[in-house]
Parts: sequence; structure tokens; C-alpha cells
Amino acid sequence: MDLLGQSVYYVGAVALLLIGFYMVLVKANLIKIMLGISFLDTGIHVLLIAIGYVRGRTAPILSEAMRRSADTGPVEVVDPVPQALVLTAIVIGIGVLALGLSIAVRVYEHYGTLDAREIRGLRC
Amino acid sequence: MLIAPLLIAIPLAAAFLAPLVRLVSRRAVRFIPPVALLANLVLGGLLVPRAMAEPIVVLIGGWRPPFCINLVVGPLGILLAVLTSLVGFLIAVYAVTYIRKEPSDSYHMLFLLLVTGATGTVLTGDIFNLFVFFEILCIASYALTAYRRDKGGTEAGFKYLVQGTVGSTLILIAIALVYGRFGTLNMADIADRVSSVDSMSLFVILALFIVGFGVEAAIFPLNAWLPDAHSSAPASISAILSGIAIKAGVYAMARTTYTLFDTPGLWGFLCAIGVATLVVGEVSAYRQREDVKRMLAYSSIGQIGLIVFAFGLATADGAFGGLFQLVNHALAKALLFLAVGVMIYKVGSKRLASLEGLGREMPVTCLACAVAAFSLVGLPPFAGFMSKLSIVYAAVATGRPLVFALVVIVLAATVVEGGYFFRLIQMLYFRKRRDLDPVGEAPLSQLAPVVVLGVLIVVIGLFPQVLTPVLRGGADELFHRAQYVRYVLGMP
Repeated sequence: MDLLGQSVYYVGAVALLLIGFYMVLVKANLIKIMLGISFLDTGIHVLLIAIGYVRGRTAPILSEAMRRSADTGPVEVVDPVPQALVLTAIVIGIGVLALGLSIAVRVYEHYGTLDAREIRGLRC
Repeated sequence: MLIAPLLIAIPLAAAFLAPLVRLVSRRAVRFIPPVALLANLVLGGLLVPRAMAEPIVVLIGGWRPPFCINLVVGPLGILLAVLTSLVGFLIAVYAVTYIRKEPSDSYHMLFLLLVTGATGTVLTGDIFNLFVFFEILCIASYALTAYRRDKGGTEAGFKYLVQGTVGSTLILIAIALVYGRFGTLNMADIADRVSSVDSMSLFVILALFIVGFGVEAAIFPLNAWLPDAHSSAPASISAILSGIAIKAGVYAMARTTYTLFDTPGLWGFLCAIGVATLVVGEVSAYRQREDVKRMLAYSSIGQIGLIVFAFGLATADGAFGGLFQLVNHALAKALLFLAVGVMIYKVGSKRLASLEGLGREMPVTCLACAVAAFSLVGLPPFAGFMSKLSIVYAAVATGRPLVFALVVIVLAATVVEGGYFFRLIQMLYFRKRRDLDPVGEAPLSQLAPVVVLGVLIVVIGLFPQVLTPVLRGGADELFHRAQYVRYVLGMP
């Protein structure tokens, strides 16, 4: 039980990644593929945060509570670097998602369907 | 010290200037990319002697290296950055008259972002920063592939986006694992600590990096997007994607394999995968008798295979040959896509048969095409002869039986390559034109970049010594890890 308690964030992250990979690989609907990519993004965000997390510590933000506790001893915060990485990754993920969905709209305009099995203008 | 960040800052600033300039003047927008990239090219040229003497390490924010994002402008970085600026500049000149579809400001903005991403990828010294620049490059490529909004372009763009994004996801997982293991993102710092951990625990990380970068580099099982994307995009975009974008993936793969993780033991795997890519690409190109751009796209896969094979040899000589072939392919394939783009525009069809007899109509363009095709096949006196010779020489110098066997396959694939390029040349010169309407030579602004690229190929082929010191420095930088670490971290 304790082992699960310690690794629950990693289990969650990997589960999200696997759901994402499953959706990208198996689903034929372009919107569902983009949702799968969104799942992948979320999985990585959780993974990154889990790597930087230290049990029982607070967010790495310079707050009033932290200033007060600075007199009593070293300030206990989690690693801020992965959180900065996640912020960047969120922005990139949103960009890709928006671009992908807008291309999917154009695909629908040309082919009249979102089913990847029927979009085969370039196959030869 | 302050010049190096400008190589990234100038195209980035110019990219976001484009929509603002459009508010003032619609016609002025298209001159932004050539001007910005010419400035980049000049600055990059000025930096070459200094970067060759000693890698320039730029600290951002004034912190010391393990704590800041830094740029490392060594011989390898400056070589690829100048190559990017050069090819980018020539393609931008070509695009001034080639891109007519509005809104052209978004084209020019995305083009400059693509160049920014490629330059940043090769110059950065921080693994997460590399990922960010790589994503800038990829996202700009996805959007540009779908730029024409036609049926083929949108379909190819979507395929490219999905495959590329899954690849980027794998890279980011690898970066998360690297941070979890080493607690640092600085490439020199990771390289310094790699020997302190069990090498088996790096296996997963390296596998994720190779697969992730391999999608953009189009190595064999991961390259389904490339023929669609490169053949459906506008000609100027095909040229930059084939010339620059896939090279960034190869660079990142070589950098992580050798400088970062010091795993030359992977040579067998990388050589085999390179040869598999080469064979698949060349045979597919040979079988492609209809669509000339698709043929060139498959040929790009083959060439990337050869470059990966050369890097996979895991010797400085091999990397030298790989870099030489990389430069040769960037120049020659950009030339071919640009030249074929003009022809397709003139005759109005992508079919190979419709290019028959254009040798008399467009003598200069076709001559340049022939130069590039001969160079890719590896005929003397063009650049491709020297690069292929140095790859074969490096492969034989390793003295491994498996590599000998693979070299035989490489040379056989070159014959296949000759087969389809000579078919193209034959179409251009030795067939009669069926359609008797004169098409005329390409306009000057599109002809000039093609001719300049052709002249560069001949000059490099005749005088390889203008390039060899930089190539040698770049190849050494990849393998002399201790030196790289010392320059960046400033340790004794």
C-alpha cells in the first residue's frame, strides 16, 4: 500500500500516456486522434511534476507564509524546474492541438469525412 | 560574444515583424525573409573563424552554465547554422516571386520561424531548450505543409502533425527521465555525469530520444509522413524541409547519442538502420515513375539513410563524411526542389512525363538540375563525389566485417539512385517535347538561387578544402566530449 502511495503519480502519468498512445494508434476519427495527443500531453505534464515532487513540501512560490517560515529554518519547497518545464510544455501542446484541429477542419472541408480510413487521396 | 544570440534573434524578430509590416505595405512583406537571412548569413560567416578557434559559450541571464540556458557555438553548430542561413536565404529569394497566394505574410512568418527553430536546435546547449526549438521547427513545418489548403496539402499536413507530435512526446518523456536521473538539463553537465550511472539505465532514455528525433529525421520505420509532406507542400517549402528540417533531426540524434550519452557501442544498430533507410528510400524513388516531387522526396529518405549510416560508424572520420554528405544533400536537394518547382509551375503538372524536353526550353535550370542530380549520385567533379568517397573511406577504415557488407549495399543503392536520376536527366534532355507552346526560362529571381546553389556544388566539389576544416572541427566536436564539457562548464 505504501509503495502504491509513493508511486501513484507515476502510475497515473503512465496510464494517461498509454491511453493517449492507444487513442492515437487505434482511433480512426481525426478529432479523437487529436484528443489522444491531448492525453499524451497531460500524461507528460503529470510525469514531469511527479519527478520534481517532494512529499510534504509546498509550491515554489515566494509567498508570505514562506517568508515567515524563513526565520525558523530552510524553506521546504518542491523542485521548481519541472514546473517551469510543464508551463512551456502546456503552451507547446496547446499550439499543436489548435493547429491539428484547424487542419482537421480543412480535411473535413475537402473530404467530407473525419474517418482516417476514407482519407486516402495521397495513397498510391 | 553578443553576435551569437543574434543568429536566433534576427529571424525570430523578423518573423513577428512580418504581420506588422503587412499593415503598412502588402508588397514589402516578402522582402523581410531575404533581408533577415542575409544578415544572419553575414553574421554567421563572421563567427566562423572565432567558433573554429574555440567554441563560443553564451550564458543567458548571467548565471554559470549548469544553472542557465546556454548557447554553444562550436564548429558543428556554426557549420549547420550557416548552412541553414545560406539555404534559407536562397529559398527566401526564390519565394519572393514564387509565393503569390495570400495571405503571404503568414507564409513568410512561418518560414522564418522554421529557420529560427533549425538554428536554435543546432546552437543550444540545453536539452530542454533544444526540445523547444525543435518544436518551433516542427510546428512551422506542419503549418507550412498545409499552407496551400488544397486536398493533398491538408491531408499530408495532418499526417505529419500526428506523427511528429507523437515523436515530440517521446522526446519530452526522455527529457523528463533525464532530469529525474541527473537533476540537470545542461547538455555538458549531463555528458559530464553520464559515466557515473549504470549504462543500462540509460537505454530507455536513449531509445526514446532516437525514436523521437528519428521521426523528424525520417529514418526507416518512422518516415511514412515524408513523401506526402515533401511532395504536397509548395516547392520552396519542400526545399527547406528536405534541405534543413530533416537535418535538424539527424543532428539532434547524433548529439544525444555521442556527445550526451557516449554510446558508440550503438554503431551496429545505427549503421543497419541507416542502410535500411537508404535501401527503402532509393528503391521507392526508383519505382516512382509518375510524380517527380514524390520521387525527390523518396530520394531524400535514401540520402538521410546514407547520412545516418555515416554517423553510425561512430568514428570522427564517419561523422566527417556524414557532415559532408549532409551539406551536399542540403544544397543539391534544395536546388532540385526549387528547379523542379519552376518547371512544374511552367508546365502545370507534377507528372514526370510532362517534363520531357524541357532541356531546350529552360537550359540554365536544367543544367543546374543535372549538376545537382550528378552530385547526389556521386559523380566527380561535384561535391557528392567527395562526400561519398569520404564515407566509404571511413567505413572501410573501421575494419569491421559487418560494415564492409553494408558498404556493398550502400554502393548498390547508389546504382539504383543513378537509375532514377539519369531517367530524370534523360526526360529533360533526350526526349522531344510533345507540347509545342514555348515555356521559356525561369524568371531571374527564381533562376538566381538555383544557379548559386549549382555553382556552390561545383566549387565544393573542385575545392573541398574550403569546407574540410569546418567539417573536421564539427566531427571532432561530436566525439571529443571531455573538451566540450570543459569549454562549457569551464572546469580545468
